Amino acid sequence: MNDVIIIGSGPAGLSAAITCANKGLNVLIIDEYLKPGGRLLGQLYEEPDGTWWNGINESAKLYEEALNKDVQFLMNTPVHNIEKAKDGWVIYTEDNTFNTNHLLLATGAAESPIPVPGWTLPGVMSVGAAQVMTNVHRVKPGEKGVIIGVNVLSAAIAMELKLADVDLACLTLPWNNQLTEEAAQPRKVMESLLHVSHMAPSPLVRTGSKFMKNDFMKKLGITFYPKKGVKMWDIPIQLRKAVIEIYGNNQVEGVTLATIDTNGEVIKGSEEHIACDFVCIAGGLYPLTELAAVAGCPFYLIEELGGYVPLHNTRMETALKGLYVAGNITGIEGAKVAAAQGVTAGLSIAKDSGVNGLESEIKKSIQSIERMRENAYIQFHSDVAKGKRILQDQWKEYKASTETVFL
Amino acid sequence: MTEDKMIVCRCEEVTYKELLETADKYDCSARELKLRTRAGMGYCGGRTCRNMVDKMASTMESNKRTQTTLKYQPPIRPIRFGDLGGHEK
Repeated sequence: MNDVIIIGSGPAGLSAAITCANKGLNVLIIDEYLKPGGRLLGQLYEEPDGTWWNGINESAKLYEEALNKDVQFLMNTPVHNIEKAKDGWVIYTEDNTFNTNHLLLATGAAESPIPVPGWTLPGVMSVGAAQVMTNVHRVKPGEKGVIIGVNVLSAAIAMELKLADVDLACLTLPWNNQLTEEAAQPRKVMESLLHVSHMAPSPLVRTGSKFMKNDFMKKLGITFYPKKGVKMWDIPIQLRKAVIEIYGNNQVEGVTLATIDTNGEVIKGSEEHIACDFVCIAGGLYPLTELAAVAGCPFYLIEELGGYVPLHNTRMETALKGLYVAGNITGIEGAKVAAAQGVTAGLSIAKDSGVNGLESEIKKSIQSIERMRENAYIQFHSDVAKGKRILQDQWKEYKASTETVFL
Repeated sequence: MTEDKMIVCRCEEVTYKELLETADKYDCSARELKLRTRAGMGYCGGRTCRNMVDKMASTMESNKRTQTTLKYQPPIRPIRFGDLGGHEK
């Protein structure tokens, strides 16, 4: 039996494994993907200081370190169920059942789909899939693509595709329906883009954002937003157009694009066809919490964190004994924050396993998460710190309510 | 293709129109919408359309903030039928 089992070998899971191993614990990591690194594998961007953050190298470093410390890995193995046993947790995979007293869920995030007529054609993929094909497997997703959904993730991946010499016709909005919500409204998209304007090499977006701090200016900004779009890394970004259909006989042959008003409504007669051989759908990320739900964790919906998150404290302990969380399952943030959370979770697990004298190290690691958050270059939600405060309030409320029950 | 024919649940091939009309006709919860249309009940276990089916349900449950309306059940990933029921190796 392992002292600790970690589900997920991304930055959070790997950092937690290394931390636990450093404290003398015997660790097993289980991951459904074939390579360790999680979504860190796909990342490739230039930092403000001019150095490059290459996710493949970062993942390899963490993996090597974990291997050197005798962390065991079980790749290509989906966990389909977890159960609380008399003492500890039972983890079910297709071929085996594992037992442990300390279970860390570091399952990361999943992508939200945006349905568009024709989205079931071969050649349509999530923007994350295009990133994995390009950066991890080094396979071009196609010759020329269109990205539906304008957000931090799609802008970052558009740049990566550009680096790989994949041609993009444009980044644009989805057709406005009951399922697309804010992603189809130019003003909402503009608002969400303003807090990442420092990443934009386009002077219009960068200087424009300074003048759009209030609502009136935002509305004005979108009204005067050029119908032809602006360019970011030479890729047109169309906030006043939406894809109303993806067409093709047996695979993607193109998209029908229409001009939309500031509320996202299609202007009739403005339809045009754009030829392309692949389409990426970028609906944003949400915490992947299935296992926490199956385990019976209490949840709370926090939009600032990307969706439903299992309640947990700053030490990454959930409301269930012996069950911990770290990384994007706790809210959508960057890899560096996830890794810092992994360290805290690892220390908490070591302490709960009987390792003494960790208290000050745990406190420091919690501060380090906050520092990483403040200094994050890419923030998926501008109010993530607020989301974390809501979560802590909910945790306290939950703890108070369960304690009264037992009195 | 018109928006009516747009597929929401790929596994069970349930369209946007079908979900809209069912939600409208029965004024139902996410769970009822799922059971009436089979959206989210296919091979993938609702991993793609769960949130969409949830959004299209017309009635909002009161505990929406503390609980997803469509609950998760094991197995959360597809597994072989034999492994589910137990079999002689």
